Amino acid sequence: MKNWSGVVRLVNLVLAELLKLKRSSMFVISILGSVVAPFVVVIATFLNEPSTPFQDLFYNVNLYTVLIIGVPLYGVVTTYLFNREYVEDTLKNLFTIPVSRISFIMSKMLLLFLWIMFLTAIAWALTLFLGWLTQFDGLTVDLLLASIRQFAVGGLLLFILSTPIILVTLVMKNYVPTIIFTVVITLINVMSGNSEHRALFPWAAAGDIANHTLPPTYPPEYSYIIIAFTALLGFVVMVVYFQKADVD
Amino acid sequence: MSVIKTTNLTKAYGDQKAVDQLSITVNHGDIYGFLGRNGAGKTTTIRMLLGLIQPTDGEIELFGENLSSNKKGILRRIGSIVETPGFYENLTAKENLMINARIQGIHKKNAIYEALEIVGLQNEKKKLVGKYSLGMKQRLGIARALLHYPELLILDEPTNGLDPIGIKEMRRLIKSLAAERNITIFISSHILSEVEQLADHMGVIHKGKLLEEIDLDQLRQKNRKYLEFQVSNDNKAIMLLEKHFQMFDYQVYDEGRIRIYSQLEERALMNKLFVQHDIDVLKIQLSEDRLEDYFEKLVGGGTIG
Repeated sequence: MKNWSGVVRLVNLVLAELLKLKRSSMFVISILGSVVAPFVVVIATFLNEPSTPFQDLFYNVNLYTVLIIGVPLYGVVTTYLFNREYVEDTLKNLFTIPVSRISFIMSKMLLLFLWIMFLTAIAWALTLFLGWLTQFDGLTVDLLLASIRQFAVGGLLLFILSTPIILVTLVMKNYVPTIIFTVVITLINVMSGNSEHRALFPWAAAGDIANHTLPPTYPPEYSYIIIAFTALLGFVVMVVYFQKADVD
Repeated sequence: MSVIKTTNLTKAYGDQKAVDQLSITVNHGDIYGFLGRNGAGKTTTIRMLLGLIQPTDGEIELFGENLSSNKKGILRRIGSIVETPGFYENLTAKENLMINARIQGIHKKNAIYEALEIVGLQNEKKKLVGKYSLGMKQRLGIARALLHYPELLILDEPTNGLDPIGIKEMRRLIKSLAAERNITIFISSHILSEVEQLADHMGVIHKGKLLEEIDLDQLRQKNRKYLEFQVSNDNKAIMLLEKHFQMFDYQVYDEGRIRIYSQLEERALMNKLFVQHDIDVLKIQLSEDRLEDYFEKLVGGGTIG
């Protein structure tokens, strides 16, 4: 019974989070961010190499989304979700209603997950639509299912790796440090693109896992463990910090 | 029964103590004014009462329970505004209150409308909060604090930034909440006259320390203008005052001193009466003490604000 009321409370918190997004420009901006990769990849491929198989469109869009656009885009979404409570000075209301700090984090993370997966779905759907419109070859049901899985894994891994980004947001209470942090991650992703050791960098490994391109240098378990460790460490430090932080 | 009781409450930032061994008691049904200059430690105290910041030392009891032992349960019985209330500016007043109602599990259909009606915002419920004036936001903050029918309202400088009419309306609202809903109210302010007009009891905080906690009626008594006679026979003098001036608003002190709090303009006649009845008048002094003077002395110079 107690667990059930906890679930109801969490659902209510998430519904409240959804209401907060009403008329929010960030939602539209994030959608615009998510359509960049499909547009650029499909149109550029159509103009330069129209004989490319459909499979490569999905692969390239997912690659750019996970490794280049996803980290800063989802980073901005993450910061918006958490930082707006500081900017709009609403935390003191929430915590005195009261909402427990762990429930606050969980509801925000749940919404972040839904948001990331929604943007991932848009990128996938737009790739499919534009590829179909420009009549690339090789579109099959198997490819559709495989690409859905690849996009979903990419989105899921980026969500899992959002905990260090949330931590930076909660500690710094500002957009700028988070943006710098995500740009640095993206730069490392780009620079390590040709490195055989890239599987040891969690965000680069996420791209390789999603697209099944992990280099054979290390066993895949290493990448999984590094991603899990990074996410877990970020989560634990974030929760411990936030539980003790004063709301000024 | 005390609704708020703090014992040696302390909050230190490094070597600096924002609140220093503060012990206050707020009784059920009181309007308690928490008076102090800017930076005296009022908001820090309120944030500790609401569990927003952790005390460095000391105890907080609310409704007879230790705050840390049942924080959730206790906070559900409190409505609050801390400094300027924050809202989601992309939402309307109604939507902002819907967020609270949903999280607090308020199912009563009219709860939001009723709360908006109390503060006079029922016709502004569809306007985006981003377009609200500061006064409207303060009123909306009160509506939000009242949404779950709290037993205790903690208001941190609720008249800050309001124009004189807004201040007057806020004062009327707070008084009516205490009277009609029997809500205990803890209100902080740096304006003496505001606390004086609202509160029954008052705590004065200065540099983090509680200087005095006092009943406002007693304080007014203590600080009213008065006429002090020192006479050779105080019993006879009182009898004459009661008989000839129907004077009962006085206090008798040692060494034949009588303090008279009304009909001060008739002091010459009183003096004449005493002399005519063979009472020696050793001293007549008109006190000019006012509440402001009292507080100036209390905080060691300057004004409260």
